[in-house]
Amino acid sequence: MTDYTSKSTNLYLVAHLMPTEKLGIHGSFDFNLSEAALDEVQIPDSAALVAIGVPAGWFASHSYDYSQMSTYSDFDYELLKLNFGVEYLLSPKITFTADLDYADLKDNQGYVYGNETGSFYMIRSGFRLKL
Amino acid sequence: MKQFTTYVTAVIIALLLIPAMVIAEDGGDKQRDLSIWLGGHTTEFTDNTKKVGEYNKGENEFLPEFMLDYYMKSGNKMMSLNGHFYDDENIDAHYKLTIGNKFKAKIDFGSMVAQKGRDLLENIGAKKGPKMLSYTLLDEDADYKTKRSDIEGDYQLLLSKTNNIRLLAAHRSTIETGHEQKISTGHCANCHQVSRKLEVDRQTHTVEAGVAGEAGKFDLAYLFGYRTFKSNAPDAINHYDDARHPTNTVITGSDTTYTASAGEFVPRLIYQDTTLPYGVYPETEKMSHKLKVKGDVGKGRFAGAVSISQAKNKHTNLTTDAVSGVANYAVLLNPKTRLLTKLNVSQIQADDAIIDLPTHREGLSGPTQDFDYTFYSSLDRTTAGLSAELIRKVNPKLTASLKAGYSMVDRDDYPVYQNGTKTSKMFGQVKLRHRKGLTYSTNFKYRFEKITDPYVSGRGLFESKGRGVILPLDTVQPGYPGWVFYYQREELRYQDITTMPTEKHDIEWSSNWCPNSKVGINMGMKIGLDKNNDLDSLDVKQTSMQPNLSINFNPNSKISLTTGFSYTQYDSRGPVTIALFDG
Repeated sequence: MTDYTSKSTNLYLVAHLMPTEKLGIHGSFDFNLSEAALDEVQIPDSAALVAIGVPAGWFASHSYDYSQMSTYSDFDYELLKLNFGVEYLLSPKITFTADLDYADLKDNQGYVYGNETGSFYMIRSGFRLKL
Repeated sequence: MKQFTTYVTAVIIALLLIPAMVIAEDGGDKQRDLSIWLGGHTTEFTDNTKKVGEYNKGENEFLPEFMLDYYMKSGNKMMSLNGHFYDDENIDAHYKLTIGNKFKAKIDFGSMVAQKGRDLLENIGAKKGPKMLSYTLLDEDADYKTKRSDIEGDYQLLLSKTNNIRLLAAHRSTIETGHEQKISTGHCANCHQVSRKLEVDRQTHTVEAGVAGEAGKFDLAYLFGYRTFKSNAPDAINHYDDARHPTNTVITGSDTTYTASAGEFVPRLIYQDTTLPYGVYPETEKMSHKLKVKGDVGKGRFAGAVSISQAKNKHTNLTTDAVSGVANYAVLLNPKTRLLTKLNVSQIQADDAIIDLPTHREGLSGPTQDFDYTFYSSLDRTTAGLSAELIRKVNPKLTASLKAGYSMVDRDDYPVYQNGTKTSKMFGQVKLRHRKGLTYSTNFKYRFEKITDPYVSGRGLFESKGRGVILPLDTVQPGYPGWVFYYQREELRYQDITTMPTEKHDIEWSSNWCPNSKVGINMGMKIGLDKNNDLDSLDVKQTSMQPNLSINFNPNSKISLTTGFSYTQYDSRGPVTIALFDG
């Protein structure tokens, strides 16, 4: 029997500010930490269990090392997401908007798909028109 | 795909133009709101894009972007259209049209891209030893991603005001394109996996049509449904290696020769040293008929439905028939007490399949075995469920509910033909809700489930020295007393295995406190515990815990802050087994 544990912690903050009647500011912070691990698997020595009375050497090919096996189930991610944006009313019918999204993933284990550490940012800007 | 795009475009244009003209001609008060956003975005990725940009194209680029919000209302006619074009693979649009109670239409379109990681198959090397499962990567440069597009619509047309007879129609199409990883697995005589890049081109289409109306105190509806699934991508093809003992080989020069055991392997396998498709998608179609009824019965409200359906896999010509029924009844027992009851019954029957296999060890001296058999689907089953919930407003601040129920799955042929297992579940649940105006509220729920004979593997997991005896079959080679074959060892196996529980406890609590109009605090906790007490030599259990806290702070109309945290811990205990490859 073996134990498997996974843990996930999430922290967030979302803010909306309106310093003036024409200016709106928003931002968010999101941090997630996810970990999982399998306890070391204790596998009995199959050769010792079944080799009684069997000619010597028959189970030489059963000499396995399972010590690293459980580590392949480990994962350990840290994901940070940030957003910051502004909206400015240029006229009653036209609003300027700008946003920045940033995400950073730190993969401390490399799980199935290899090390997936990476980051990404997006800048978005435009005009909202009321017609 | 071209046909699909043409169809979508035609439907959208028709539904935009026709109502726009109808509403424009209406002489009543009009309301029209149109807002468009025009702009663009630039993306930049560093290192691995697959996880951090999972639902992005994963490319460094600048692209134009567009959003639209349109609302038009005149009298009892209304039309709205919302859309967002992020890039050519991430688009969504929603359309609604209402012309009084004569015609209603709702159409949603969405497409999104999903980045997929590539399984490196390195976990295969987790067990270090002489007899190893090997693998070959034929997709080392592959960049996996798929695009999914969905369009669905619901339409309702009034045919007659008498009895409120309406024509109903609905459709949904899902198109998936891109590339995916497909891994073939050879027999344990080859211990070899191969990873390949394969095209994705899957289509699912569903249409539904029917009629609804009123008859006396009841609303009635009939719906016919038709669904198809097909993959247009070429099948994955694998060459299955020639059979050999995983380590018992002799290297001679640059060639590999095999010991006499190689001759034993070939006639034991269904196929080897051949090229065959693998991971083939089914091509299915499903037809269904559904009858729905609802209305007042006695002092309460009744709603029920009966449906029959048949699904067919056109590749294998096998069908599955299902009949199901559901009935709900809600009644106010007194001004403070309400009773909700629910009943569901279903039966599924799948075709039996004849499995024709080559004779085991055909052509060799010694014992042979015919493994042909009839496959009786584990889908063959009858299910039923019944529950009753009593909800009572104890006092102006406290509402309590008690719920109890029973459900069962009676399998016809699993794990043994005509002697299947029956899983039964009884549950009880209590819910309390306490509310003190808008200042404070608390919800609490406890649910207990007792399950007998949960789904288990059909065969035992363990063998144990001294437990049972199997006798060697005929002598195969002079000087040997006889051979014991792997399939004989099935008789020795014992211990059902499952991760399904026989006992389950769930507790949920949440509280909300607003000390003033500027601050709101919400906290809660979910706890789950389940375990199986029926496995005499296994200790299977799972626990989970999810606390959360959030705080809202709105000091004035110009500032709004929300912060919080959540935590999830999941623990499970179960057996881990290792496959040994020994030919």
